[in-house]
Amino acid sequence: MIDLTIAIAKGRLQAEALALLGRAGLRLPDEAHLSRRLAIDDESGSYRFIFIKPADVPVYVEHGIADCGIVGRDVLLESEADLLQPLTLEIGRCRIVVAAPNGNLTDGFGMLRVATKYPRIAARHFVEHGQPVEIIELSGSVELAPVLDLADCIVDLVETGTTLRENGLQIVDVIAESSARFVVNRASYQLKAKFVSNLLDALRKANEDCKA
Amino acid sequence: MSESLSAIPSGVRYYFGSEAHLRRAVEHAAMSIFKAWSYEEITPPTVDYYSLFERGMGAVEAQDAFRFTDTDGKLLALRPDVTSGIARAAATLMAKRERPLRFSYAAPVFRLRAESHAEWRRESTQIGCELIGRNGCAADMEVLAIAVEILSYLGLNGSSTITINDLEVFNGIVGSLGLDATAQEELRELVDTHNAGDLERFLASYASTEECASFAQLVQLAGRSEVFENARRVITNERSVAALDRLEALWTVIDSLGLSAQFEVDLGDVSRLDYYTGILFKIYVAGVGMRVGSGGRYDQLTANFGKAEPAVGFVLDLDALAEAMRANESITKLGEVAEQTATLIMDEDPTALFREALRKREQGDRVLISPKPEVMP
Repeated sequence: MIDLTIAIAKGRLQAEALALLGRAGLRLPDEAHLSRRLAIDDESGSYRFIFIKPADVPVYVEHGIADCGIVGRDVLLESEADLLQPLTLEIGRCRIVVAAPNGNLTDGFGMLRVATKYPRIAARHFVEHGQPVEIIELSGSVELAPVLDLADCIVDLVETGTTLRENGLQIVDVIAESSARFVVNRASYQLKAKFVSNLLDALRKANEDCKA
Repeated sequence: MSESLSAIPSGVRYYFGSEAHLRRAVEHAAMSIFKAWSYEEITPPTVDYYSLFERGMGAVEAQDAFRFTDTDGKLLALRPDVTSGIARAAATLMAKRERPLRFSYAAPVFRLRAESHAEWRRESTQIGCELIGRNGCAADMEVLAIAVEILSYLGLNGSSTITINDLEVFNGIVGSLGLDATAQEELRELVDTHNAGDLERFLASYASTEECASFAQLVQLAGRSEVFENARRVITNERSVAALDRLEALWTVIDSLGLSAQFEVDLGDVSRLDYYTGILFKIYVAGVGMRVGSGGRYDQLTANFGKAEPAVGFVLDLDALAEAMRANESITKLGEVAEQTATLIMDEDPTALFREALRKREQGDRVLISPKPEVMP
């Protein structure tokens, strides 16, 4: 009997998220790390994990197909999904920044061309600063856009800053600090309160250990 | 460029067959229960002045209405909610009627934008009731009892949870912080999403240790009577305590009626601060990822139409209810008429055909007219 279905963002976060869940006492069969299966149950049979693209995690959880999930705050800000976020996790730390060649935004008055994978976050940020922008939505290698003069600057996720430096970009502004969040569907939170509460307690403890 | 004839706008759909029948049956069941609690059916106009909804729902929510202009240039809207129309009628048309007023309704509402990402529909049917002119625990309990009866009649009481809260618990704590509107909205959102981590960081710059502890209590998991004990240990401001008293009194009634298994107290439910003024509740049913209904007390609403009086009510989403019934396989007695097999009536002679058909109908049988004996394929 599956008590809870947990959506895990594939890629950047996946290994850290699974390690955290492991410390919280959820045991996944080893093959989980290797196989290409997209849904897998833990050894106790109480939890089902689904591995999906980060941007799809809020979608699955908001629809209640997954009861809860682990996903970066950047993805949540971009999706504007209506989810509960009861726990901030110590994994997947990064920043969402504005970066430009040589840290220089030529003039602050004209139209700025912004290349990004996060059109909503970018639009919101520049609206708050009263800066008119043209948002150019890309799906990857955003750092290339200013180099080839597709855009004046980029809004992107930064972990170490290496990619930025290699492309001659410098951080102009930090929009938000991001780390992974444990998110829960609003209906599941009430209807499966006992299971959610147990998992939350275990995760909270594992997360505290992480902090220390 | 010609448009495809098969295309329909996003957010709307056809209903037919067993699904249409189920919706009709659910609507009928709910309306019968309202009637049995002495609620009078009311249907406000489908098209009304946009300004009505600005007053009734607040300027931000009203922006979701489909808008168009009348012949005299006035802005009209397809109703995005039913309550606004009822509140106006209560304060104007029925201003002199004896209180309390009890109204029920089942009517489609229309929104330009769906209410959430998980909700794609722009036309949905609201089933609900309003109890106007009566305050206090008995009034709150009256509408909750009706909600419970409807869920129970639809076979959903075992799989549903109703969360209750009183917004004044939150308002009482916020009141002492002296926040501006932007900061208050940010704070509301953090509590509403139970975002304990960011909440702590946000409060660090505003609040005392005691206030932080109070807020931390709000975002705890929902629970039953223990919620009051835990909350009272840290929440001491007068306004919040009064709200906790009211909420606990209501809980005591719920518990005494043997209904507490179906209820939870969620002090972190602060979804609509601008609308609700006291108790508010949400209805969830297993198998449906979104809430199927919500309600609460909105004592300011009729004041917007010139006659301030207490009011409490709730609304159920017909499609969510129907989905919940399918998910919980509780489509029991509601489906009977449709399942009855039709008697095939066939005759060359139209008079004989309809004589037979009318006779069958008088007996209450379902019929299917087929003027000529058809060649079976």
